[in-house]
Order: sequence, then C-alpha cells, then structure tokens
Amino acid sequence: MATIAKEVPTLAPALTPERPVTWPKRTRARLANGLEVVLAEAHSIPKFHGELYFRAGNALVVDRASSLAEMTATVVRTGTAKRASRQIEEDLRRLGADLGTSAGQDTSAISFAGLSEFAEPLLQLVNELAREAAFPEAEFERERRQKLEEVKLERTSPGFLAGERLRKVLFGAHPYAQISPSEEQVAAYQREELQSVYREIYTPENALLMLVGDFDPQVMLKTIEKVFGTWTGKKPVAKETVGPPKPLGRRVYLVHNPGSVQTQILAGCHAITRKHPDWLQLGLTNSLYGGAFNSRLVMNIREDKGYTYSPRSGVLPLRQHGYFSVSAAVRNDVVAASLTEIFYELDKLRSVPVPAAELADAQNYVTGVFSMGLATQDGLLSQFSTVELNELPADYLETYRDKIRAMTAEDLLTTARKYFDSANMQIVVVGDRAQIEEQASLFGALEIYDAHGKRIE
Amino acid sequence: MTRLQIPIQSVTLKNGLRVVIAPDTTAPVVTIGVYYKIGFRLEPQGRSGFAHLFEHMMFQGSENAAKMQHIKLINSSGGTLNGSTMYDVTNYYEAVPSNALERVLWLEADRMRALKVDDENLRNQRDVVKEEVRVNVLNQPYGGFPWLDMPPVAFRNWANAHNFYGDFADLDAASLPDVQKFFRTYYVPNNAVLLLLGDVKPEEGFALAEKHFAPIPEGAAPPFADPTEPPQKEERRGHVEEKFGTLPAMAIGYVLPERRTPEWFAMALLDQALHGGRAGRIYRELVLEKQIAVEADGGIDDLFGYNGPTQLTTRILHKPEYSAEATLAAFDTVIREVQEKGISEDELQQLKVKWRSDYYSTLEGGRGGYMPRYGLMHLLACFTLFDNEPQLVNTILNGFLKVTREEVQRAAQKYLQPENRALVFRTPVKSDAKEAA
Repeated sequence: MATIAKEVPTLAPALTPERPVTWPKRTRARLANGLEVVLAEAHSIPKFHGELYFRAGNALVVDRASSLAEMTATVVRTGTAKRASRQIEEDLRRLGADLGTSAGQDTSAISFAGLSEFAEPLLQLVNELAREAAFPEAEFERERRQKLEEVKLERTSPGFLAGERLRKVLFGAHPYAQISPSEEQVAAYQREELQSVYREIYTPENALLMLVGDFDPQVMLKTIEKVFGTWTGKKPVAKETVGPPKPLGRRVYLVHNPGSVQTQILAGCHAITRKHPDWLQLGLTNSLYGGAFNSRLVMNIREDKGYTYSPRSGVLPLRQHGYFSVSAAVRNDVVAASLTEIFYELDKLRSVPVPAAELADAQNYVTGVFSMGLATQDGLLSQFSTVELNELPADYLETYRDKIRAMTAEDLLTTARKYFDSANMQIVVVGDRAQIEEQASLFGALEIYDAHGKRIE
Repeated sequence: MTRLQIPIQSVTLKNGLRVVIAPDTTAPVVTIGVYYKIGFRLEPQGRSGFAHLFEHMMFQGSENAAKMQHIKLINSSGGTLNGSTMYDVTNYYEAVPSNALERVLWLEADRMRALKVDDENLRNQRDVVKEEVRVNVLNQPYGGFPWLDMPPVAFRNWANAHNFYGDFADLDAASLPDVQKFFRTYYVPNNAVLLLLGDVKPEEGFALAEKHFAPIPEGAAPPFADPTEPPQKEERRGHVEEKFGTLPAMAIGYVLPERRTPEWFAMALLDQALHGGRAGRIYRELVLEKQIAVEADGGIDDLFGYNGPTQLTTRILHKPEYSAEATLAAFDTVIREVQEKGISEDELQQLKVKWRSDYYSTLEGGRGGYMPRYGLMHLLACFTLFDNEPQLVNTILNGFLKVTREEVQRAAQKYLQPENRALVFRTPVKSDAKEAA
C-alpha cells in the first residue's frame, strides 16, 4: 500500500526507507498478593519512571462526595506512619525524585520518577504511601482549605467552565458528569471518609505497578517483591451506574462570563471507549478532522480565516464511556461563523469520502507520531499504561501501525457517520452573554448559566 | 554516581551556519531544530510583539513550499512541528520518523533562504496572534502573570521592559516590508544553528546539512541593540488589575548575576532551595506552614535560554484574609533566614542530587509527548549561539555540583536585596474576592 503523500511539491525530497519500529519487551509478573507488575528497560538516562495505578477513582465513590478519590490522593502524600510531610518532601529531594498523587474518574495513581541508583528507597517511599498513609488531621484541614480556594479559582477559567457544562449535559446522573466539587462539598469532606476510600481503593489486588527506565528487569522484580510482597488487600466492590442521557437535537448552553474578550466554544457528543473495535478508525478520522496541525478544522478556522489560535478535536475515552469534542477559543464576533465551519467540516466528513492522498497523509501522521514515545522513558510509560489500563490486546502497540494503514476512505466515512453526530451535538459557549447570545441561539434551543452552574434567563 | 555523556559533534559551514549533531539510535526518530539568535527582547522599537508575529510568518510559505505545504509535509511524514519565540532566541523544530530527515532539512533550508509571504498571510496571522494573546493573557485569570507584568516594572531599558506579546496597535502597524527587513537582518545562516538529534549518522547529517544549507548566502552580521540595564538602586513596585481571578497575587523578582559566573551557579542552587517544589523553603513556609498562600512557586525562567538581564521570580497567590504586606513580610522572613543562617550541608547535598536528576530529565525530556529531546536541543542551541560551545551540555553540570554552602549564603546576601528587586501586585477587581475573607 502506498503510504507516501502524492501532493508533494516536486522538489521536496522523498522519504527514505523506514527503520523498523520496535517496542521494548515488557516483563510481566503478578505477585502472590495480586499486585500486577509490568517492567520495561529504557536506557536513555540513568533514571526510571513509574506509576502505581489503582483501578478506581472518583466515579466509584461519587455517591459519597464529588472528587473524593482526588482529595484522598492529595492527602495521601502528606504523611505516613513513619514520616511526616516535611520528611517525605526532603527524602524525595535526597533521592533526586519527583512524585505526585492523583485521581481521575477511573483510576488513582502514585506517579514517580527518580535516579536509578536510588530505586529501592524510592519504591520504599511509594510503598509507604500506598499502605501506611496516616491522614494527619492538620494536613487534612490544610488541604481542604487549600482546595476551597482552588475550586473558587477554577470557576474563573473559561476552559474549565466549558468542560464542566459539557460533562453535565452529556452525563446527567452518571458519575462522569461531576468533574469538580462545589465549595459546600469541599467544606463537608471528612477525614474518615478519605481514610475509608483509601482502604478500599489502595490495595494490591486493585493495583498495577509499571516501571520504565534504566534498570535490569530481573533485579528490579526482586526489589519489588521485597518491597511490596507483604502488602495485602482485596479489590473494591464494583458499582452499578446509571447510563448517561442521550441528548437528541442540537442544544446550546451559554455560560455567562462577564467581561470576556473571547468566547470558548466546546461542542461534543457521545462516542466510544478505547476497547471498542472502532477506536482506531475514530482516532484516524479525528486526526483528519481536528486532531493535527494540518487537519481540516485548523486549516479552515485558523490558517484560512484567522478566527482562533488553537482549534482542536479529540475523543476522551473514559473507562465506561467515551465522548468526542471539538474546541476553539474564538473572537466574540465570529462565534456563529466558527460554529458554522465546525459543523461544515463534520458534515463534509460524514458525506464525502476522503481523497486518497489526504487519507495517506493522515495515516502517515498517525502512525509516525505513535512512535515518538519510543524515545523517552515517560513516553514509553504512557503508551504501556494505555494498553494495560484499558486491557487492550498484548500486541496492540505492535499491530497499531498496520491496522491504521489498512483503513480505507469507506471506513472513515462509516466512522464519521457513526460518531460525528453532528445533528445531536451539544454546544457550550463560554463568554459575555451580551456579545454572543444572539449568535449562539442560531444553533439550537438556548440555556444560559452563570459561572456557578445556576440557570439564568 | 552515574554520569550522562551525550556524544556531540559540530561543524561550521562556510556561510557561518553552525551544525550540531547528537546521535542516538535508540528509537527511529530524529528531532531537528533551527535556532535564530533573535528573540522578543531585541525586536524593533514601535513593533512590540513583532518577533513572535514573525515566527508565525515563518510557517506561511517559502519559495518552494507554499502556505500550508510546510505543515502538511511534516505532518504527512509522520512528524510534528512547532516554533517558539523567547527572550533571545527563536526556534523552529520538528520531530519526525528518521526517514523524513532530508525532507525536513530541505524545508528548513527553503525558508531560511527565501521566505515568501504576502499581505493576506500577514493579516491572517495577525488575527491568529491576537486570539493567542486573548486565550493566553486577556481572557485568562492571571494571564501573563508575571511574565508580562514584571518587565515594565523591573527594567528601564525598552529591550527588557516592553510588552513581548505585543500591543495590538503595534501588531496592526506591522507591515510586509517590516517582515522582509526582519528576515533579511536576523534570519541569516551566520546568525543560526541547525541541530540534529537522535536517529542520524553524523557523517550523513553533516553531508545533508551541507547539501541543503551551504548554498544559502551568508548575510551581514546582524546589529543588536544593547540590552544593558542602568544600575538599579531602589526597590521597584507596580500594580496590575486582575479581571477574573479571585485571589490577590504578587510577584517578586530579583535580578540575576551574569551567566556562568560562580555566583550564577550558586543562585541556581539557591533557586532550588527556595522554589524546589513542596520541599522548597517558600512553598513550605507560605503554603504548608503559615498557610498564607494558595500557590507559591517560581524560579529562574529558562535558566539556559536567556542572554541578557533576567530575574529569579517568585509568584504567589495568597488568601484574601492576608494583606499583601503581611504576605510579603512572610516571604521576607524566608529570605532573611537563608541570608542569616545559610543552608545546611545536608540540604546542599539534597539540592545537588535533585539538580543532577532534573538535569538528566531536561536533556531527555520532550515538549509534550510528541517532541522528544526538546530539552537537549534547546541547551545545545543556546550554548552554541551564546557561548559557541555546545560541549557545555556535558560539562556545565560540574559548575552546579561544585557550589559550596558559603557561596549559596553569599549569593543570597548579595542578590536577594530590596534594591535588587521589583514587586508586582495583581489585585482582583471582583468584589466576591473580598466576601471570601
């Protein structure tokens, strides 16, 4: 199959033969306590990068409070049975290490990177955080007070307000609708709640430890057994969730942000998860639409019309549901014009097959950038994590490029018709109502909200 | 201690273009960069923001690759690309599968030799840049804070003190002749360095560089305005309104000693002692212990990437119930402590381990997931353009590991002084910031 673009100016040198793309071998193990381990060598620098993932996050415990797993993760790093907060931070520096604790909808994680020469003491610290976090009362109170300011602050960011509204519209009563707690919810967080979330989620049966870097996997595996071997704990009980709503017909949600000198557009519709057989087709179709610099959307509303600096589209694959969205921060007087082009390009992909040369270009792009992660430890870690956390086939990385290259214009047309659900896109605009309401209302029934999520008329 | 050694080879072509190659065949990916020694600091007066606007123009077409062809050719080769404008350099870079190396060199050479843009391109990119300024500065809470707020308060020389993103009136005034003149003046091979990193054999890389870049004629040596600052004798203060954010903010900037002097190395470790994340003294004191601030971070912005007056800057967002003066007093306590007591040997050792570890990550690190070795490229480019010494990448670490406790304390005593600093207060206009008190 020809993979070289045809519309190359005559003088541009041709591509030379490709060097093979080889993914490093992964060493896998499961400890007796259920902890899954995936290791890979990468000797670019004398360091290693790691993630200790737990396969549950905010969504599992949303009925107790919004973003509770995230708050739990925040407090996890502030003290263990053996070390106070200050000791933890100084020890990390002593080991030349960085460490972060976080949680999303579907996972909680302790992420770390450090010098290979200090691998064991860093893993010891990670182990302590995973098993012996102490949730000191004073640290909890401080983090809660801190969080209160953060949740006030995020309501002043147009990008946050747009994302929050779209998630509410697409997910309704489903846990994924909630991306951040209210001030009242933060004020009501209890230390004991966090501890109980910690006990449920931070267990070896629920965990996956991934390390990529400058080490010998067999030696590292022995170290891991020594450090994590005596840890015990069961998987948390999975929870049934209600399905998300299926919004029909375009609707427009205007979040009024007084004084805005620009409008943040974010439009989206339900799509698929990474496990879905159509995932790769959708990825390629998206890259052609708005997922690359030379995509149709960028060429149209940036390079041709100058409406915006950074238009883009993407598919966010949460574990239970994925959704497609397109975003652009545009000049206030071209909100309607931008939306018109956004839909024009979607509808065009739904109705006209992609020309062969453009398809080949997109295939080359997607397969090329897929290999960029090979050059760095965290790039590799990120690719391996995607495979493991989504339980993708073991040969996912190795077969990806061939699968992308086998796709046809027909496949893309089918994919666009299925997932670029233009007629039912939900449109969020964040901006100054007086300047954009009339333009926004051209695209569907309009609801107006303030920055705190209250409906206003 | 394992030390990282990067293999580096470099040559200078007859037209003055320097070529630096750092081969590494681990992955079939090559990163290519072209750096020009001109940034927003020395852009023409009356044309604030021009260096950055010009950077956008470099993607608008050259003699043999019309508008959109450049981007399209990189993306369709399986690669990504971007450019950025900094104080003293502007870069253009690509990461591609290594089979596209020659194609990228051809494209970079084409636009170094013959930029070909028109008024329509300029109008288009002026609009794009204005939306960039809106999305990053004018329509964001704390947009441009403090990187755009600090220079006019801290500095007196226009070169260091103007609006680097550009006043909209200046952007509007920029014309096609301005573009052409700027290109002819600064975008000459003798004011640039070409970098090839990753999957490239040095002899092939040099041959391809010769083939595509050697025919570009050398230009006159560019004239550079003098960025020297008159000596500062007093603390400087400025105030800016915060239109969206809810928390009062302040930034404190201290002017740095000259690059690569022993004092500069000491200041870099002092920076780590003050700003090194949650273990840093400022975060620990203001956020974790006194709990006055919600955010307290900062440092020397792009330590290796500037070549003129710059600062060590702290950025603080504090709780509304604390006044600006109370917050500043708490900050000053941290500074006084390090001036009076210095740092312990144990702390110094921690700082050095962390410094070494961070340095390795800088060299390996990308910009986003799709731009491997950005950090190595950036350091090689700056050491070549500023020092004519790319090998500094392998030796400069020693300067940091040699710093003593006494040097750190002396640097704090000498440079962290009121008459060497500037303060910017960014105060919310919204009333609900007060309700929170």
